[in-house]
Amino acid sequence: MAEEDKQSNNNLQPQVLDKSATEDLDAAGKSLSEALRISFIILKVIMAVLILAFLASGFKTVGSDEQALVLRFGKIRGVGEKRVLKPRTWPYWVFPYPVDTMVKIPVEKKVDLVIRSFWYYQTQERMLAEPSIEKMRVLPTLDPINDGYCITRSEKLDEPISGSGESDYNIVHCKWQLTYQIYHPERFFTNVYVKEVKPGDIYFDVITKSITPLLQSLFEDAIVTATVNYTIDDVMYEQVAGLTDDVRKLLQEKLDTIESGLKVVRIQMIDKTWPLQVDEAFQALVTASQDLETTISEARTYEERTLNEVAGPVAQELFEALQDKTISEEEMDSLWSQLAGTAQEKITEARAYRAKVVAGARANAEYFQELLPEYRKRPELVIHKIYQDAIERIFSNVDEKFIIPKGAEWRILVNRDPSLKPKNQQGAND
Amino acid sequence: MKNIALTIFIVLVVVVLGLYLITFQVRETESALVTRFGKPVREITNPGLCIKWPAPIERVHRFDSRMQVFEADLGETTTKGAVPIIVNTYVVWRIAEPLKFLNAVGTVKEAEVKLYSQITDTQNRVIGQHSFGEFVNSDTTKIKFKDIEDEMLSDLKQTVSDEYGIEVKTLGIKQLKVSKDVTEKVFDRMKAARNRRTEKTISEGEGQATKIKGDANLKSSVLLTAAEARGEVIRGRGDAEAAKHYKKLDEDPEFAMFLRNIESLEKILKERSTIFLPPDAEPFKLLKKIPSLEPKK
Repeated sequence: MAEEDKQSNNNLQPQVLDKSATEDLDAAGKSLSEALRISFIILKVIMAVLILAFLASGFKTVGSDEQALVLRFGKIRGVGEKRVLKPRTWPYWVFPYPVDTMVKIPVEKKVDLVIRSFWYYQTQERMLAEPSIEKMRVLPTLDPINDGYCITRSEKLDEPISGSGESDYNIVHCKWQLTYQIYHPERFFTNVYVKEVKPGDIYFDVITKSITPLLQSLFEDAIVTATVNYTIDDVMYEQVAGLTDDVRKLLQEKLDTIESGLKVVRIQMIDKTWPLQVDEAFQALVTASQDLETTISEARTYEERTLNEVAGPVAQELFEALQDKTISEEEMDSLWSQLAGTAQEKITEARAYRAKVVAGARANAEYFQELLPEYRKRPELVIHKIYQDAIERIFSNVDEKFIIPKGAEWRILVNRDPSLKPKNQQGAND
Repeated sequence: MKNIALTIFIVLVVVVLGLYLITFQVRETESALVTRFGKPVREITNPGLCIKWPAPIERVHRFDSRMQVFEADLGETTTKGAVPIIVNTYVVWRIAEPLKFLNAVGTVKEAEVKLYSQITDTQNRVIGQHSFGEFVNSDTTKIKFKDIEDEMLSDLKQTVSDEYGIEVKTLGIKQLKVSKDVTEKVFDRMKAARNRRTEKTISEGEGQATKIKGDANLKSSVLLTAAEARGEVIRGRGDAEAAKHYKKLDEDPEFAMFLRNIESLEKILKERSTIFLPPDAEPFKLLKKIPSLEPKK
């Protein structure tokens, strides 16, 4: 190339130039030629480097929390599973732009979205205020523009309140949280609107921000649709899990209908309350319910204590057995043997009486039979002896003895002063 | 050789420039419309590389074909039976037919204006055909919330597709409210219902407690009676056993009764008794004189 330039330059030389001038020009031409040659080499190197850099720009990595799609002239490249590139330890190579473009979708990240649009309006000041002060500031109505709430159905009444039909309803405030993630990158990329990523933007943040209005609308729709099927007590206490599950199903159904490629990971009702306007009435019921539990608990304690005092731990079982006509004698005896308390005392008293009566009768009979032979031999003496011994014992126990003149009436006063305690008891008390 | 390289380079540049001028890409997220001197000639909804005459002969208009969400403002409407309700309806939509969209609407902003009026119209018409009891009802089988949404969707879908080339993917009600004044009445009703339940709860509690205590008393009474009855049986058996021993007294009943009387007397006069006796009572007559006794032969 330099040679050609040189020749070309030589051809251009005017024939009129003298020899010295020709020599000077030859030297300059040589220098120029050399400079051009070097420049051309540098240019070649730069071009080669640029081509290499251009080709090297086709190496792309897919992060561990991502999956990628390659667009060739705007169309997703590949067939079946190969359409989605998954993370691997070495980079992928794709044709550089404008032939191929790699789009990375964060599929592993789980994002939380909190919905407060069903909560009553609160200024910053009201949020920080004490609940008691908050209640004092409550207006008698809810403003549909600023205050959020859900409508719940009322309890099914046997006889609906006059004029209301069966469309009575209640109002409840609730806050929800949705956790979602992208599970189908292709559907997500092709169907869900995401704003253009500008320099300095974080792609994930742009995605999150772009899909929030869509998700918020679908989520709120699912909440409203599900909540009308539940009562306020279901929402507050009894059916929270059922409601949450219904909302999750409805939302996932909607997301699948529009082929969003998004998956509901979790739904939570993070806060709930009845309207502040009805707080007093609701609190009264809560208190009454607690009182009910206390009253019933006390009654149960009374029942337990009473039965325990009467018959011990076996009381309930014994009571049921007494009502059961089919129960066998053995089973009944087994239960009686486990008896305790007052009933047991009565049985024990009866047993003691039985033992005493039998023992007394036996002793009397034996005493009689011991004396009978002697009595038959000397009846008068035996009678007299027994009588005198008895009189001795009696008089020795009697507190006071009076001998009155003949012909006077004599009487016996038994236990004349009931307030006086028996001697043996006095001794015990002393 | 050098000329060939230069020629290739120049040809390459020319080809690239030529391709740039006559081709364009339609991405998976887009649809496109090609106009020739302003007149639409082709609608492209499939992604890929496409060819066109260079500008200004043909121009490409691109449209984002992904789903977008649009919500109408919170608005009051009336149900069948003239019950006012406040709803906020949203739609998820996309540009399905670029030509129709360009001709009828043009821009996304304009599309939203059209959607707003269509949604309001559909909302009023469909909701007006349903009673409030179909939105919320104590009998869940009568709730038709989802059906009403579906009805609104099919109503809106056909209209905006035919007129604007817009596909409505889904529609829903994201807020269901009642007017300010109605909320006050709702609160009154809620309070009344709660108060009724409070009273019922209190009386139920008292009733249950009374029943539990009554049952306990009844049970204890039954148990004590049963225990007493059983005790009576035991006593009876004791008396029966004792009676067997009394047979032995038949040998001399008078003597037996004497012994028994003595025993009773001792028991009765055991404590705190005062006795008045005549002076000739045994053995006190000894206090009067020494008895005259003679030995028996």
